[in-house]
Amino acid sequence: MRGLRAWLLRLAGSFHRERSEQELAEELRSHVELHVEDNLRRGMSPEEARRAALIKLGGVESIKGLYRERRGLPLFETLLQDMRFAFRMLRKNPGFTSVAVLTLALGIGANTAIFSVVNAVLLRPLRYENSARMITVHTKTAMFPTFELASSWPTFEAVRNRLDALEGALAYWNTSRTLTGQGEPAVLDTAGVSDDFFQQLGAQAENGRLLGPGDQKPGLDHVAVISDRLWRTRFGSDPAILGRQLILDKEVYTVVGVTAKNFRYPAPTDICVPLALTPEIEQNQTFFRFRIIGTLRQGKTLEQLRAQLGVIAPEFPKLQPRLGKDFKLTAQPLLENTVGDARENYLMLLGATAFVLLIACANLTSLLLARGWGRHREMAVRAALGASAGRLQRQCLVESCLLSLLGGAVGIGMAALGVQAFRALAPAGTPRLDEITADWMLLWFALGSSLVAGLLFGLVPSRHASRIAPIQILKVGGTGTIGSFFKVGNALVVVEVALAFVLLAGSTLMVQTLAHLVRQNPGFRTENVLTFDLPQSSVPTPMLRAEGALVDRQNQQLQEISELLRRVPGVSDVAAADHGVLNGMRYVHSGLELENVSDKALSDQHVLERYVSPGYFGILSVPLVRGRAFNERDARNAPKVIIINESMARRFWGRLDVLGKHVNLTINGKGSGWNEIVGVAADVRDADIQSNAEPEFFLAMSQWGVGSYHLFVRTERDPDALAAVISRQIWAHYPDQPVTHATTLRRTISQSIGEQRLYTVLLGIFAAVGVSLTLLGVYGIVSYSVNRRTREIGVRVALGARPSDVLRMVIRQGLVLIVTGAVIGLAAALAMTRFIAEELYGVKPNDPRTLLMAIVSILLVGGLACWTPARRAMRVDPMAALRYE
Amino acid sequence: MAEKKDVWQGTLALMVLKTLDTLGPLHGYGIARRIEQTSGDLLAVNYGTLYPALLKLEQEGYISSEWGVSDHNRKAKYYKLTRAGKKQLEREAHEWEKTTAIVARFLAPGEEPS
Repeated sequence: MRGLRAWLLRLAGSFHRERSEQELAEELRSHVELHVEDNLRRGMSPEEARRAALIKLGGVESIKGLYRERRGLPLFETLLQDMRFAFRMLRKNPGFTSVAVLTLALGIGANTAIFSVVNAVLLRPLRYENSARMITVHTKTAMFPTFELASSWPTFEAVRNRLDALEGALAYWNTSRTLTGQGEPAVLDTAGVSDDFFQQLGAQAENGRLLGPGDQKPGLDHVAVISDRLWRTRFGSDPAILGRQLILDKEVYTVVGVTAKNFRYPAPTDICVPLALTPEIEQNQTFFRFRIIGTLRQGKTLEQLRAQLGVIAPEFPKLQPRLGKDFKLTAQPLLENTVGDARENYLMLLGATAFVLLIACANLTSLLLARGWGRHREMAVRAALGASAGRLQRQCLVESCLLSLLGGAVGIGMAALGVQAFRALAPAGTPRLDEITADWMLLWFALGSSLVAGLLFGLVPSRHASRIAPIQILKVGGTGTIGSFFKVGNALVVVEVALAFVLLAGSTLMVQTLAHLVRQNPGFRTENVLTFDLPQSSVPTPMLRAEGALVDRQNQQLQEISELLRRVPGVSDVAAADHGVLNGMRYVHSGLELENVSDKALSDQHVLERYVSPGYFGILSVPLVRGRAFNERDARNAPKVIIINESMARRFWGRLDVLGKHVNLTINGKGSGWNEIVGVAADVRDADIQSNAEPEFFLAMSQWGVGSYHLFVRTERDPDALAAVISRQIWAHYPDQPVTHATTLRRTISQSIGEQRLYTVLLGIFAAVGVSLTLLGVYGIVSYSVNRRTREIGVRVALGARPSDVLRMVIRQGLVLIVTGAVIGLAAALAMTRFIAEELYGVKPNDPRTLLMAIVSILLVGGLACWTPARRAMRVDPMAALRYE
Repeated sequence: MAEKKDVWQGTLALMVLKTLDTLGPLHGYGIARRIEQTSGDLLAVNYGTLYPALLKLEQEGYISSEWGVSDHNRKAKYYKLTRAGKKQLEREAHEWEKTTAIVARFLAPGEEPS
């Protein structure tokens, strides 16, 4: 405490020196006067009295010296001196200063921006009270071998009630429900939540109350809590929202509360209602719809939880053999689950920006070294006047840190803009997008990385500057030895080229990936197709399929809407399917039975299913390689028919001629009866653009009904112009029918590669910055060494070297370094691009063409950097050079 | 000389505090005289070394200072013990007694523990 107080006073004392200096002088004067008076009283003569008093006091200057040391912080004061000096030096060389500051700002800015994103997404805890202890539980079953599924209700009950490692658990089930009676119908993300959902997540109500245990009771369970966002956007922050009645899928719910503005739902949610479960669902072991979030008990670990899940998991297949012997329950921290695969991408970007910063540091090192050698005479004079090596080194380090702090300050501005730009460019599904902000963390990180960078690039030049032998330089009047500059400079060229090479190779791979994705042909016509979702009301699909009358009604509605839209000018065709294409959605079917296929291993496999209207294959121009498409005669009561794709035909029968064979499916948990194969469709990439066609079958919507469906409208010209017209046409005839997610197929494709595009663009920018900095750095080092060697070159020319020999010499020496750098970079790239293998598409991480391209580019860049200095060397006039200095 | 100086610096603060405690507010010269008189010739060093020590004590908040006028109408800077200084004096004096007692026991003849 006392020490701190004294330290602060001394810190303050470092600033107003004049005043306390005067005060001490006065105090000492009064001391002497008092002593003189005393001595006079003892009978000394005035001269003797003064002399004795002064002797007794001791050397005034040494007292002042001691006093000064005590009054301020000597180290701090010299630091202040050094900083003032450094500022003057930087102001004197505005060109050098601005190049250095800009270089650093690019490096620090890029690093800080990406770190802010990484911090917000990967490092910062989720905004829940116990977020560090929150975990998710998923189901893995042989029924869907490649998926991590949500869980069934019996699983949730077991997890919540029987695991000692968990303090509590909640479940929710997100569905889309249609809000009507409030202007245009809208589809809302609705969560059915277990009774302690809000309590477990530590949610607060902004208005009214949240849902709790009492709300599950039949008859009382039609209450709803809405999100702050919905309250603001849909209800204009209406203060009288409580008690409002909302019609969701034709059922009436009463609003009892609004969640607080800062509350984050685990999944996008507009409305929460109590989970209303039928006894059938409560028993159903294969209804994998409930997402489970649990809270670990204090002191319990994830490993303990996993062990306990391993104990209860084998009980489930005993009750329901379809789950398979390998049925597993897996647990993962909630944060990890939320972030998903974004992690690798962000770390890749962070690595790239670290490389950019390293290149910037290497550039600065060479700049400072070159300048240090330009200042050797000044340093020599200072050393000769008594500055210690340590003091000179500190002076240089202060200069480099000041530079990097200036760079950091500019970099903070760049980073703040960069973070805004990232938010604007990031695709909508990016996890925790709304939490990415420019905050204090950004400031600290920029400050920290500036200081580290300053020390890093200042260390070598400062050691060089402080090791100057003054006598040699001052006596001879020459330049001292310069060999060590070349050594360090050469090393810097190699390092920069190697770093730039890795950046170049990585970004070229990503660019090729993006190019492959953009050029990827899905195998059908995607231009001029508008798509919409037409969500249907509450009738669940299983029930709908059971009720023939409902199927007929839906068929009729689809028929009418199709007729309606075909009459709109500019519309050429209309078709429907149960889910859209190219958006990554896959409906997986299990429980096949195939005619003439007895191999159980084959029929246990999973295939994709899609229900389509008769016009589906035509509107997308998917060719039928055998048989026919569906038509109007495939009605509900007609014989059941099925179309399969080429992959499915080959997988199960090994050939395409399978017309007339029969397939038995499992629909709503029971056998569908035999369906006759009437067509084989060409393989197309309908699920997403990245994946090859998978085995898939198609059923006729008209025979089974589908619930909510997806509408395709082919237009003759610009599809976007017609989107609004089409929605209005539908609403005019079906006022309660929501029309949502209007988009074009082209846009769906472009959105599906949005993330890859973002990462590629960013990596490309970082690579471009890194390569430009390298160009600049190599150019600087080569020009400097040419300048220093003017005399040597002059001698060579005087002795008969031709200009072309000089040119060759400079370029050869530069290229040797660049090739060395490229070789090291190649090795590093081969080692590192493996880590981005998962992000790549259509190109291998060690793709020889890419690496060759990177090698050629880096040699071109290096050659370019050497060319101008080499030309200058070529034009050296031997007479002028020998008179030089 | 070296040993003498070490003692001087280590105990000077204690002596300053004790002096101010005994005599009340006093200027630098007065403190120096008093210490010299009390200790006899043993601590006859330059008065000037007192001033950095006074500054240190003031920075630590044990003493405070203000300009005043001496008995003979001369302007001088007076130092005064603060409350924290009084406490510090008690602590230091106690420590000092303990230390000297231990050292004395060590130096006492013939009492080697068996």
